[in-house]
Amino acid sequence: MKNGKRKYHNTLRSWLCLSPSLVIIGLIVVFPIVYTAYISLTNMNVYHWFNFEIIGLDNYAKALTVFDGGFLQALALTVLWTAVNMVFQLVIAFFMASLLNIQKLRFRRVYKTVLMFPWAMPGYVSILLWKNGMFNSQFGLLNQWLGKIGLDPVRWLANDAVAFAACLVVNLWLALPFMIMIMDGAMQSVDRAYYESALLDGAGWFRRSVSLTIPAIRPIIAPAVVITLFTTFKQFDVIYLLTQQVGAKTGANIHTVLTYAYENAFVTSNYGYSSAISMCIFILLIAFTLIYNAKGGKRRVEND
Amino acid sequence: MKRTFVAVVAALMITTPLSACSGNAANGGQPNINGGSEPVKLTIWHDKEDAVVAALQAELDKLKPDIIVTLEKKNGLTEALKMVGNDPKAAPDMYFFAHDKLGVYAEMGILTPITEFVSAETLGGFLPMTTQAAMYKGEIYQLPIYFETLLFMYNRALMPDSSVPTTTEGLLAFMKDVTGGGQYGFVEQHSTAYYSAGWIHGFGGEIISNDGVPQLNGDKTVAALEYHLKFARLMTGESEYATVNTLFKEGKAAATIGGPWLVPTAREAGIDLGLAKMPVINETGLPIAPYSGVQGLHVLKVSAGNPEKNTAIKKVLNQLCNTDIGAAMASASGCAPAFTACYELESVKTDDMVMMMSEVAENAVPMPNIPEMDVMWNVASNMLVDINMRKADVRASADKAQKQAEDLIKSMK
Repeated sequence: MKNGKRKYHNTLRSWLCLSPSLVIIGLIVVFPIVYTAYISLTNMNVYHWFNFEIIGLDNYAKALTVFDGGFLQALALTVLWTAVNMVFQLVIAFFMASLLNIQKLRFRRVYKTVLMFPWAMPGYVSILLWKNGMFNSQFGLLNQWLGKIGLDPVRWLANDAVAFAACLVVNLWLALPFMIMIMDGAMQSVDRAYYESALLDGAGWFRRSVSLTIPAIRPIIAPAVVITLFTTFKQFDVIYLLTQQVGAKTGANIHTVLTYAYENAFVTSNYGYSSAISMCIFILLIAFTLIYNAKGGKRRVEND
Repeated sequence: MKRTFVAVVAALMITTPLSACSGNAANGGQPNINGGSEPVKLTIWHDKEDAVVAALQAELDKLKPDIIVTLEKKNGLTEALKMVGNDPKAAPDMYFFAHDKLGVYAEMGILTPITEFVSAETLGGFLPMTTQAAMYKGEIYQLPIYFETLLFMYNRALMPDSSVPTTTEGLLAFMKDVTGGGQYGFVEQHSTAYYSAGWIHGFGGEIISNDGVPQLNGDKTVAALEYHLKFARLMTGESEYATVNTLFKEGKAAATIGGPWLVPTAREAGIDLGLAKMPVINETGLPIAPYSGVQGLHVLKVSAGNPEKNTAIKKVLNQLCNTDIGAAMASASGCAPAFTACYELESVKTDDMVMMMSEVAENAVPMPNIPEMDVMWNVASNMLVDINMRKADVRASADKAQKQAEDLIKSMK
């Protein structure tokens, strides 16, 4: 009886301590999703802005028209974009973090500070600086270099494949500081004694990385990888500002699901319809999360 | 003790924000109706440059001490109005913006027609183009203050006054002569709907009709797109604002079509700037006819319903129905006044930019103010990019864009 009461008190106290966080999560995460779901069932648009009413699943039926060939192409490109970004981010960040962890490295703090610069700048500014300062065919640095060696200027953001690569470079510039910081922290947490043993056994850098560093840091960097995976999947700014901004389109026809949905739904100011599309994309992301978690869970069971 | 402390802290964390909310709800935002013993305070949202705001503020300060008007610069003004336009606690009393969004707000039901405050006789003193631009479904929703339209600008060092083309074929010949090696005869934002619209109008075409039907694949529009392509091929690949304006300001382009906002920066950059009439399109005998935007005041319904504010708004609007504000804005920022009598003032008559804008405006087409136009900017720009930058077939691109525009307009409802 006494144990039960104590357990009850402990549970109550836990919930009480958690409640501020739960309230905040509820307000900033759950409420917008629930409200979007509610709006998706209404006819809230320019013509029914304040007097909207529930119209059932009509918006979802209409949303299916957006999920056409163009949307599937955008979805495929989004998956490719996410995969390529993740591979480059993980590999480059691993090498950079490894270099930062070289023993007796001088000016380590200076390098770390410099590497954080792209993260400290507002993304919008960075993207437009890249667009005008690097890729602009008239004034950009790349074409000035080409001009110095006698080559014709190139319109970097006009061709689909080259524009995709340019977007990739800018996204890496923006995202690498986070991944390098996480990997650097993870590597510093690995006990040096393991490396000393590996060195005594004659293991080289590659063997130490594959057999020691990567398994040791994997659980630490996993949450950061998941976060980056989803921020990359729902990336909008880089591709939109570099290639699709109204009034500054470059000729490249590359779209992620979000830029595609923006051009084919969000511009209509039909909040009911746009919310239905947002919910569909949200469900798509949840499905990806479930698949990822299921595979991750299976791998953990196998490892155990 | 520890448990009690944790419980108290947790309870405070939950209740403090809530109590703060309830406090706001109880006290905030009630209008102070006091029989006029204290000044009536009005707020106007805007997104304008400092010189324009200073001129407007100086004019409205003449209403002190009875009425105090605060001009508040608002980023993302158009979206903010959608969010709070009917909320008396958060909405401004008026906003100062271009006319092209008023159809959206009128449909949303947050605007009051301006005729409730200003007599028809007084409105007759404004240029007809400006009051027509402010009209939506038979009601006038904006008090026009000034208007702007695109101008043909040239660099006298590269295009002497004697060789300024009066026709588009003359312009094309000039472009062919001088374009090459990083120099351009003429540049414009060729794949942006706002700029290309002038060419389309010059062919008698349009982007959207007044009743909201897209016209992107109409024969006249397609003819204009085909003709315009010849010019776009001789311009820079990039078509965005920064590149085009920098080419002109750095003396790498002899001429451009740009807004009045380019004039001061081009002069500051040391360009010997000339302004000319829009070239006449040889095929049609009509000049390039760009869009015009009319800037003015709009009244929010939530404030019009407040008797005290209603009277004050009436005074504010009528204060702006004279030559003073038009002359002040023309002098401060080269704005072309909407009030007709301003053009009889010596200070306005001698301003070459204002007078050229007024001349171009005779053929200019006010930007459509219907809600459907919101989706057209992007669709039309995509079509222009396909044609001018991706070398797609003109007719096929126009048909594709027309279909997309029709679908999007259907999706608006």
